[in-house]
Amino acid sequence: MLCKSRGDFFSTFLWEREGARGKERAIGEARMRKWEYIARRLVLAVLVLLSVSVITFIISRVVPSDPAARWVGPRPTKEQIAAARIKLGLDKPLYVQYFRYMGDLLHGDFGVSVESHQPILTDLKTYLPATLELVITGMVMAVVIGIPLGVLSGARKGSLLDHTSRLLAVAGVSMPTFWMGLLLQFFFFGRLQLLPLGGRVDKEISLYTPIQQITGFYVIDALLSGNWPALRSTLVHLILPAFTLGTYAIGLTIRMTRSTMVEVLEEKYITAARAMGIPERTILFRLALKNAVVPTLTVLALSFVYSLTGAILVEVIFAWPGLGNYVTRAILSLDFPVIMAVTLVVTVFYVLINLLLDILQTLLDPRVTLG
Amino acid sequence: MKYIKLMLVFLLVLGIGGCGPTPAPAAPTPSEATPVPPTATPVPPTAAPAAKENVFVYAHGPTFPDIDPSVSFSNDSVVMGNAYETLIFYNPPGSKEVLSPQLATSWESSEDGLTWTFHLRQGVKFHDGTDFNAEAVKYSVERTKTLGLGAAFIWDSVEEIKAIEDYTVEFKLKYAAPLDLIAASGYGAWMFSPTCVEAQGEKANEWFNQGHDCGSGPYTIESYERGRRLTMTRFDDYWGGWKEGQFNKVVFEIVVDPVVQQQMLEAGEASAAYGLPRVNLKTLDARDDVTVYINPSFQNLLGLFNMKKEPTNNKLVRQALSYAVPYQQIIEGVMLGQATQAYGPVPAGMWGHSKDLFQYTYDLDKAKKLLAEAGYPNGGFDLLLTYAVGDLDEQQVCELWRAEAAKLGINIECRGMEWEPQWDLAKSDPMKAQDILVFYWWPDYITPYTYLYNMFHCEEEILFNLGYYCNAEYDELIDRGNELAGTDRAEAERLFIEAQKILIEDAAAVFFYDLPNDHELRSDIKGYVDNPAYPHIIFVYKLWKE
Repeated sequence: MLCKSRGDFFSTFLWEREGARGKERAIGEARMRKWEYIARRLVLAVLVLLSVSVITFIISRVVPSDPAARWVGPRPTKEQIAAARIKLGLDKPLYVQYFRYMGDLLHGDFGVSVESHQPILTDLKTYLPATLELVITGMVMAVVIGIPLGVLSGARKGSLLDHTSRLLAVAGVSMPTFWMGLLLQFFFFGRLQLLPLGGRVDKEISLYTPIQQITGFYVIDALLSGNWPALRSTLVHLILPAFTLGTYAIGLTIRMTRSTMVEVLEEKYITAARAMGIPERTILFRLALKNAVVPTLTVLALSFVYSLTGAILVEVIFAWPGLGNYVTRAILSLDFPVIMAVTLVVTVFYVLINLLLDILQTLLDPRVTLG
Repeated sequence: MKYIKLMLVFLLVLGIGGCGPTPAPAAPTPSEATPVPPTATPVPPTAAPAAKENVFVYAHGPTFPDIDPSVSFSNDSVVMGNAYETLIFYNPPGSKEVLSPQLATSWESSEDGLTWTFHLRQGVKFHDGTDFNAEAVKYSVERTKTLGLGAAFIWDSVEEIKAIEDYTVEFKLKYAAPLDLIAASGYGAWMFSPTCVEAQGEKANEWFNQGHDCGSGPYTIESYERGRRLTMTRFDDYWGGWKEGQFNKVVFEIVVDPVVQQQMLEAGEASAAYGLPRVNLKTLDARDDVTVYINPSFQNLLGLFNMKKEPTNNKLVRQALSYAVPYQQIIEGVMLGQATQAYGPVPAGMWGHSKDLFQYTYDLDKAKKLLAEAGYPNGGFDLLLTYAVGDLDEQQVCELWRAEAAKLGINIECRGMEWEPQWDLAKSDPMKAQDILVFYWWPDYITPYTYLYNMFHCEEEILFNLGYYCNAEYDELIDRGNELAGTDRAEAERLFIEAQKILIEDAAAVFFYDLPNDHELRSDIKGYVDNPAYPHIIFVYKLWKE
C-alpha cells in the first residue's frame, strides 16, 4: 500500500514513539484532549450566542421603532398602542424583557413577528428548509463542478481546461450574485425559455398536485410522496437560484482544489505511483485528491454558512420563499423579533459548522493541534 | 490564440447579458425607461396536469402580513376581497349610487344616527356550509373589536350589537357615526362564520395564516405557501351563482421585483399586476395583449407644515412656500402626467371633495410678496423636510421644491428617513421636529373625516397630526360633519368642504397631488373596473375571459 490512511499514520507515529503501553496512554490522552477541546469549544459557542443575543437585543431596542405600533398595524390608535405594549411586555424594564426573551428561547420559542403576528418558530419551520434546500443544492454543485474542475486544472497546468476553469473560478468569485441571477434569468427564461423565472414550484403543481409537506424540503417531500411532476418541477426551479448561489463556492472550490492539487502532485508518493504505472485517473482522484481535499472541505463548509446570508439577494431575485426573503421583509419593516431570530439561527449554524470543521480537521489531519 | 478566442467568446456572452433586465427594482428616473427583455409566451417547464381550468394569476409585489379577516389591514386585503364580503359595497366613483347592498340588502339609521338596523341577505352560505345570519354579523364585529388590531378602531362607535331576528341586526352606537360607510370598509369589516372560527379556539389567527378562511365570498383559500403563493378555488355554493367564462381558480404570485412582474404579464404567465414602473406603462399599453388601467386613487401626497416652530408658524410664510411649489412640473416630470394636483386634503372621486376649493399655483412673485409681508423679504432661513427614504417620487418632489425655494432665499434640506424615526421625530418636541413632513394618506373607510381628523384635528398627544395644526372652528365643523355623515350626508359634505377652506387658507399643508392607481391586465380579461375604495383588490368574480 502506497498511501496509508490518516488513522494509520497517526497510530504508527504513536507506536514508534512510545511503544505498545505508551500507545494506549497516548491515545487515551489524545481522547481526553479532544473531549476537553470539544467541551471548551461548546462553552465558547454558548458565549458567542449569548453575546450575539445581547447585542441584537440591545440594537433592537435602541433603533427608533415602536414594536407596539407595528403590532397593531399601519394606523394605530393610542389605546391600541397602549394595549399592545402590555401584551408584548414592552412596559417591563429592559433586563426583564431580555431574560423573558431568553427564557422563552430556551423553550424553543422565538417570540412572535410584530408584522404578521405569527410565531416565528412556525415561520422558521417554513422558510429555513427552503433556504437549506437552496444552499445545499448550491454546495452540491460546488462539489460536483468545482472539485473535478480543480483536480483536472491542477493536473493539467497551463492547458486550455486550466485557463477556462481559472477564468470560471475568478468570474464565480468576483461576479455579484444579483447580476449573475439576472443574467441567468434573461438567458434561460427570457431567451431560451428553458427554465422558470423564479419560485420553488410551478403554480400548476400548487393547483393540481400540491406537495405534501413532510420535511419542508420539496425534493425530499416530493420523493417521499411519489409526486413525480412536483419533483421534476422542484428540481427545475432549483437549477438557476442554486447555481447563482453556488457560483461563489464553485469558484473558491476550483481555486482551492487546483492549488492544493498542484502541491500534492509534486509529492514523492505520486511520482512513485506514476512509476508503478498506476492509472492517472486513480492517481488524481484517489491518491492525490484524498490529501488535497482537506482545505477544500474547509472552504466548502465556510461557503455554506456564507451562503445562508448570501441567499438574501438570490431569494429576492428568484422569488424564493426562504429565510432571505423573510428577513428582508423583516428588515424593511423593522420587525426586530424576526431579525433577532434569523441572526441567532445563522449564528448557531456558523458556530456549529466551525466547531464541526475544527473537530473534523483534528480527526483528518494529526498535524492540526488541539488548543 | 485558441485561449484568447475562448475568452473573447466568454466575455461576449457576458456582454450580451448587458442587454438584459435592469437589476434595479427601485423606481427608475422619468427620463429612462426600464428595459424589459422581449419574451414570447414560454412553455411551462413542467407540463400542467390535464385539467384545463380558467385560472386568474395576480402577480403581486407585497406579501400578505396577516390574512385573519379581523386583523388584515394591509396588502392582504386583496385576498380578503375574494374570500370574504362586507355588509355593504362602496361603488367605484362615477356609479349611480355611492353604496350598494352586499350581505345586507337594506339598512337604515335612527334620526340621531345612534341606532342602525341592517336587513340581511338570506340564503348566503359560508365556506364551512353554515348560514350567514345576524349572529354571524354580531360575532364578526365583536371578534374584530375584541382583538383590537388592524382596523378594529373603525368600530369604535359601536356600543352594542343585537341580533333582533335571524336576518336583522341592530347596532347601538356611543356617538353618531356613518355605520353604512364603516360597514363597507375594505379593512376590518369582513363577515365570517362563527362556527368556523370557534372550531380553531385560541389558535384561530395562526390557523388563518396557515392558509384557511371562514368567509362567504366567491373564492375560498385552497393552499398558501407563505411569502410565495396563495391559491383559491371557486366556492360552488356562492350566493351570486356562477356563469360561464368566470375564473375557477385564483393564484396570487408574490413577486417582489416589478420588472419580473412585468415579464410574467407580457409572457402571459400572469393575468394581472399593479404598480409596475411608471415609465414602462405607455409602451406596455401599446401592446395588444396587455391593457393598462390608470385611475385616480384615494391616496394623496401632502407636506404638513410645523405650526409651532418659526418661521412655518407664520401663515404668510406657509402661503409663500405653497406658492413656490412647481405643481405642474411635479405632475408632468415626476408623475408623468398620471397624477392630478390636489384640491385640499380630500382626494378627487371621494364625497367631500370639491373642485371649487382654492388651489395654490406656482407663482414666485406672489411668494416673494408674502415673504416680504411676513418680514422675510430675502428669505434667509433653513427648513428641514423629511420624507420616506427610498421613495423616489417624494425625493424628486422635494428637490424640485427646494430649487424653487432657493430662488426665494430659503434653504430646504430634503432628508430621507425611515417612517418610524420620521414619525418619532414629529411626535417628539415640536420645536426640535422637522419643519415639513411629507407623507401619503389613504382612507381606512371612505370618509373625508379620516383625512380631516387624523392630520388636522387638535391633538393633545400627537399621533398623526404631525404638523400640530389646531383650530377650534375647524374642529367643530368636521366633528359636526362626522356626526351627520350617516344621517345627512349632503350637510356633512358641506361642512367638510367649509372646513377644508379654512385649512387651505391657513396653508396648513402643501397638497401636492392625488396619486394614480395603475393596474395592468391581459387584454382578453374583461369586466375590470378599478375601485379606489378597495385599493388593488381585483374582484375576480366580476371578471371573465373572452
